[in-house]
Amino acid sequence: MALTGNLLEVHDLHVSFDIQGGQVDAVKGVSFNVAPGKVVALVGESGSGKSVIAQSILRILPRNGRIVSGSILFNDPASDTDRVDIAGLHDKDPFLYKLRGGRVSMVFQEPMTALSPLHTIGNQIEEALTIHQKIESGKARKETEEILDLVGFPDPQRGYTMYPFELSGGLRQRAVIAMALICNPAMVIADEPTTALDVTVQAQILGLMKRLQSKFSTSILLITHDLGVVANMADEVVVIYHGEIMETGQVEEIFRRPQHPYLKALMAAVPHFDMKPDERLVSLRDAGRENDAAVIQKLAPRFKSSAPEKIEGPHLKVSNLRKEYYLSKGSWFGTGEQRKIVAVDDVSFEINKGECLGLVGESGCGKTTVSKLIMRAIDATAGSVMLNSDGGMQDVLAKSGQDLMTYRRRVQMIFQDPYSSLNPRMTVQNILREPLEIHGRGKSEEQRNEIVDLMSLVGLDPRFLNRYPHSFSGGQRQRIGIARALALHPELMICDEPVSALDVSVQAQILNLLNDLRTELGLTSLFISHNLAVVNYVADRIAVMCQGKLVEIASREQLFNNPCHPYTKSLLAAVPYPDLDRLLDFEKFNYTSSTNASDAWGAGFLPSEQGALASLEIDRDHYVLANENIELKELRV
Amino acid sequence: MLAYIVRRILYMIPTLVLTSILVFTLIELPPGDYLESYVNELLAAGETVDPQRIEFLREEYGFDKPVWQRYWQWATGMLVGDFGYSFEYQLPVRDVIGDRLLFTIIVTFFTIIFTWLIAFPIGIYSATHQYSWGDYGLTFMGLLGLATPNFLLALIMMYLANQWFGTSIGGLVDPQYVGKPLSWGKFVSVLEHLWIPVIVIGTSGTAAMIRRVRANLLDELRRPYVTTARAKGVPEFKGLMKYPFRMSLNFFIADIGSILPQVISGAEIVAIVLSLETTGPLLIQALQSQDMYLAGSFLMLLGFLTVIGVLISDIALAILDPRIRLQGGVSR
Repeated sequence: MALTGNLLEVHDLHVSFDIQGGQVDAVKGVSFNVAPGKVVALVGESGSGKSVIAQSILRILPRNGRIVSGSILFNDPASDTDRVDIAGLHDKDPFLYKLRGGRVSMVFQEPMTALSPLHTIGNQIEEALTIHQKIESGKARKETEEILDLVGFPDPQRGYTMYPFELSGGLRQRAVIAMALICNPAMVIADEPTTALDVTVQAQILGLMKRLQSKFSTSILLITHDLGVVANMADEVVVIYHGEIMETGQVEEIFRRPQHPYLKALMAAVPHFDMKPDERLVSLRDAGRENDAAVIQKLAPRFKSSAPEKIEGPHLKVSNLRKEYYLSKGSWFGTGEQRKIVAVDDVSFEINKGECLGLVGESGCGKTTVSKLIMRAIDATAGSVMLNSDGGMQDVLAKSGQDLMTYRRRVQMIFQDPYSSLNPRMTVQNILREPLEIHGRGKSEEQRNEIVDLMSLVGLDPRFLNRYPHSFSGGQRQRIGIARALALHPELMICDEPVSALDVSVQAQILNLLNDLRTELGLTSLFISHNLAVVNYVADRIAVMCQGKLVEIASREQLFNNPCHPYTKSLLAAVPYPDLDRLLDFEKFNYTSSTNASDAWGAGFLPSEQGALASLEIDRDHYVLANENIELKELRV
Repeated sequence: MLAYIVRRILYMIPTLVLTSILVFTLIELPPGDYLESYVNELLAAGETVDPQRIEFLREEYGFDKPVWQRYWQWATGMLVGDFGYSFEYQLPVRDVIGDRLLFTIIVTFFTIIFTWLIAFPIGIYSATHQYSWGDYGLTFMGLLGLATPNFLLALIMMYLANQWFGTSIGGLVDPQYVGKPLSWGKFVSVLEHLWIPVIVIGTSGTAAMIRRVRANLLDELRRPYVTTARAKGVPEFKGLMKYPFRMSLNFFIADIGSILPQVISGAEIVAIVLSLETTGPLLIQALQSQDMYLAGSFLMLLGFLTVIGVLISDIALAILDPRIRLQGGVSR
């Protein structure tokens, strides 16, 4: 067959899962086509059935899932046979084994868990080749190294012998892409290929995929929830919700003239950089906080009484904070010398009363370590943390005993993963009561009333108090986490990536809730995130961290309109906008993964023999980490 | 790797010294000594006791010396292969244990092989066919094996073996071979008798093992890398063996450390019922009669086996799992 017609046609696909006491229809009559050499994006929230469709195409559904009806026609341009209905094949049909990895391959979301930790990268990539082609082992190895080179491994020979845990997230994902491409398939299904990656790495990987796609003219079925990624990658878009297609069209139509209300709502729920100062995100499903006002009126005074309204100077002052770790060097349990890792290197910042400071950086840059140091969960190597409380600056790092207990009441944390940060064996009531009990707040009856108030404060029905966390959705669980953090009426709230595990629509709800609570209760907060758009939405001032150092700190407007440090600029440039007029410039992102990002920064931002790095004020309250000898004029350009 | 092994072996020395002190303390703890129980036994049997002879024995065996001196003698003796003297058997401990140790090792070895041969295929089947009739059926059988008391099973098996095959009751060899040097006939006789203790000791272990194989493999089967392998087109069985099964093996390798002493000491009751010439009954007898050097040396042997087992499993883990081999520990 020639290259006529579609590579893949999905007609009226229905997929169900058998669960205890019934079945769940995950996909309800989905139809779409993938043309040769095109990128089709399947967009939807988690649970919308988009991954199930991908699994159906390869027939790798979990054992309790099955295709009820519909057809998946695969029309292989490289073979002479007629098109095959994948949905109609028997489970063990030999064609399926040829199809998987050979003609249609898959790139997964989480590159760490998608690769076996016990086998080398080379072994796992080569396996895909040797299964589908008769090839000598020497030649297979050579081809594997070639594909590793193609996906941007700096040293393919060495990469071949490395284990996944020895590689960075970006390199792992490159390895998975190499595995998917080595047999030169007709189509690659990419299931959230960049969701687990940092924003700059995401831009590199997307660029790589785009480049390889045009080189091999492979079709890509891109599964994602990120409209920014869609705008940058897709030719066609299929919007899916609860197993049904809401809207299909060319990428131009979808972004310029969205028709379906769901799609419009989805677009309004994503925080973006052009938001006006008072603009609110529109949540898809607004979880009720109806009797808000009453609860706020009741609770706000309790917060105010535990923290004075006005204070002199900053609320939290972090100066020259430093944290070192030691890694044993080498392999085979060698007793060799230890390697020093500076996780937090000379970090200083202040947060004013009632202000929200955003802390941005890629994974491993030390932002969570900073929060742990402030929380006194780990001990600092050097530096100081001062909290302005009880009418004066208090040295946080020197506290101990009862003094430390009191401090813990003042600073509370909201965690990233609402699934693992709530004890599954405790009811919501016990979860919320625990901090009150530990700190001896009130009698049983008062505690109960407080808990009920907290529930309504975060928009949950107090009748749910006797339930266990597993009966709540991710967004609801995060609300419980927020309520727990608020139980002790803290002055300072540290939010560590509170929305990164949540769906776009739920993310909007939680962000709005956090914003409201902060203003209503007068909380000071430190908001940690890797997502610049999210930080832009909640923070007043933003600090950017890179490799343990604070490289730039400025007000939100200054940072976004006039970024100075090259790292900040590269972060901003790597964010994919859900806007066809502001596409990413993939050429900018060097496709080989640079081991040291700071090499490209230019001399002005690196320490030299003449001068060390210092935090320079280039504008009012706009500080940049640069060589102390550099002229300020040079930086302002 | 070599440096690691050497270091691990060096760590074993203080462990074994501590164990020996502990063991010696334990066997010294009960009031009296072997001679006292010996005298009591004679008196109870209505025989006369010559106090001079007792005094002579006391001196001969060093019971009049202070505790630490006796410990030192025992501990240093073990280093050159002298495990002391068994009062009960009137033989050096080495000679008493030697024969039995060989039998014990044979029984243990076959039991472990038996357990693995049965448990791994069934466990893999159960895990890959979770909640099927086969899974339930095999699980039920396994639980039955776990719940049946070993001594009862031993009695039944002995009876059946005698009825059907005419195998002599008890022991590991036919009576005519006892105490004879190894010959072809003796070897065959051992094999004839071996299967009963292997099955009896093995069943309970097998059942537990099946459950563990199943649970470990089920955990691994849900991992994304299994899906990756499927999406790559790896044939089912090869994919199962290469990825999730190999991952689930870690647990069993880590378990070797405890298997060795467990099987040797855990089979005493069965050994008594079957009157096997293994070390289990010997230990119990020695503890009862305060035959202290025999008991002490035996306990030391178990301790030594544990330490060796842990060493073997650690080395095997390091070879099999690159994460253990290549990742250094993080410290503050």
